Amino acid sequence: MAIPERDIKVLSVPPMTRAESLYLPEVFKGMGTTLRHLFHAFGHGKGSRTMQYPEQRREDLAVVEGGMEKRNFRGFHRLNRDEQGRVKCVACMMCPTICPARCIHVQAGESPWDDREKYPVKFEIDELRCIFCGMCEEACPVDAIELTTEYDFVGRSRQEMVFDKEKLLHVYDVTINKKPM
Amino acid sequence: MNTLAFLESILTGQLLVSGLVIVLLVHVILGTVAYMIYLERKICAYVQDRIGPNRVGFDFGLPALSFLKGALGLGQPLADGLKLFLKEDYTPTRVDRLMFTLAPAIIIVPALMGFVVIPWGGVWDMPSFTLLGVAVEGGPVHVTGAAINVGVVYLLAIGSLGVYGVTLGGWASNNKYSFLGGLRATAQMISYEIPLGLSLMAVLLVVGSLVPERIVGFQAREGWLMLSQPLAGVLFFVSILAEANRAPFDNAEAEQELVGGYHTEYSSMRWAMYFLAEYAHMITSCAFFTLLFLGGYHLPLVPWLRPEDTSIAGALLKFGVFFGKVVGLICAMMVIRWTIPRLRYDQIMIMAWQVVIPLSLGVVVGTSVAVHLGWTGILPMLAMNGVVLALLLAAQPFLDKGVRTRALPNARIRLYGSRFSPMPGERVVTSPSDPTALEDRPYEGTARMI
Repeated sequence: MAIPERDIKVLSVPPMTRAESLYLPEVFKGMGTTLRHLFHAFGHGKGSRTMQYPEQRREDLAVVEGGMEKRNFRGFHRLNRDEQGRVKCVACMMCPTICPARCIHVQAGESPWDDREKYPVKFEIDELRCIFCGMCEEACPVDAIELTTEYDFVGRSRQEMVFDKEKLLHVYDVTINKKPM
Repeated sequence: MNTLAFLESILTGQLLVSGLVIVLLVHVILGTVAYMIYLERKICAYVQDRIGPNRVGFDFGLPALSFLKGALGLGQPLADGLKLFLKEDYTPTRVDRLMFTLAPAIIIVPALMGFVVIPWGGVWDMPSFTLLGVAVEGGPVHVTGAAINVGVVYLLAIGSLGVYGVTLGGWASNNKYSFLGGLRATAQMISYEIPLGLSLMAVLLVVGSLVPERIVGFQAREGWLMLSQPLAGVLFFVSILAEANRAPFDNAEAEQELVGGYHTEYSSMRWAMYFLAEYAHMITSCAFFTLLFLGGYHLPLVPWLRPEDTSIAGALLKFGVFFGKVVGLICAMMVIRWTIPRLRYDQIMIMAWQVVIPLSLGVVVGTSVAVHLGWTGILPMLAMNGVVLALLLAAQPFLDKGVRTRALPNARIRLYGSRFSPMPGERVVTSPSDPTALEDRPYEGTARMI
């Protein structure tokens, strides 16, 4: 979209005054700014913006203070269960189709239950390839796949970071209290 | 018996004290350098509203030592040093091996040699004593590494040797970025050596002596030279910043342009030597500045700290005062580093040759006239400084226009003879004649097989 003419402001660099062209007074002014920041932040003072991460976490802060917006934070995935504890997924292949990183691999099989035709025999998400865009969550017609607020999960191998169905269901079990469906 | 007499003849009190000072100071300096890196990171962090190193203590992960777990991150220098020791010391294949190995040593030796002439503790009236059966005669000794008469000249000479390591390292690396860094360092050092020497001259003209002790003594009597020679002091400080390759004059290692400059190809302890030398150089420069402009170990308004005091406690206090001033200056250098962005290379050269050198020449001339007329007090000297500054400011509008436009911060300097600004009468083709050409490069004069 073109920027309308009235929104364009033409600025020009003002020529240096005699005092500014001496350079040294401006240097001292700049050092004043630096020192102000130094003393405000000194010893984790009130100017300091650091958060001591493992002890303090963004989840514990209010959103206005830079905390995590839990409602739309995009962390690791989980596979939701229905009321009977079965996996909600109907293996419709929407999420592997929409996934831009192609990190979701679903193998569908005939459902053992009467209320649906298919269910996922295998459901794997490569969390190392995932770009956490949340499109799988949007595409899912039955709200089976969801992103949680977990972000600091580590694995000791690449294989460990490929979450299979059991692991994704386990993520649901441990995060259902933190983030209800 | 003969050996004893021989030992007694050579083992003077001065020799003992000098040896002791040198052995102690090498460790003090190296320890200071380690903690200067910590200080730099801390100051940098606070300036940028961060905290900086705050996790590493001295507990080494042992539960028994958990009371040494510091929240201040004081163990960081140790961890950094350990990391550098354990890193792979990599030598690229096509380097000049001898020079590549020698260069870090060449830079660190002058950096550690400068300290010997700094008069850390003034004069100590040493009592006579016997050391392992050898009688050592007492008397006044200088608490310094080497009490030589031309101390200031020695410092100047050793300080400028530091550039050899940078240049050699850049050249031996066989890497164009390193080479450019080395070249830049050389040109910059040569340019800033001149105002350094000239502003030093302004001091020496007033003091009339090259002996470090006498320079301090003069300032104790007549007032610090920073008060009477502020212009020379500022010029000297700018020059030592440039000499120590410190920001805003760290063009030799400009990361954004030259990857890492002269130490791009270095790793592990050899790289650490460069780092160590840079910081040691900073300490030397600051000690030099303290000696010349900030009254050395002299501290006014403190009655129990007299410069004539020759007791051991006095010498130690003087050392403390001197070192405190040096640390204060180092902090100032660090704040400057995080305040002023790096100057462009041509701006550095313009500043040296068109601003700093003429100004320091003016100061030298003014000081000579004042000294000849016998006006060496603080007020006449200040007036002289003001007159020099006013004269230069008044002369500025009448300077050559070319000089003034080039001094503009972003004026473009044309590279004459390049295809973008050809010589008069020269014909240059700036677009490819061949439609399938991959590069926008003049093909004239290039033999091509078709």
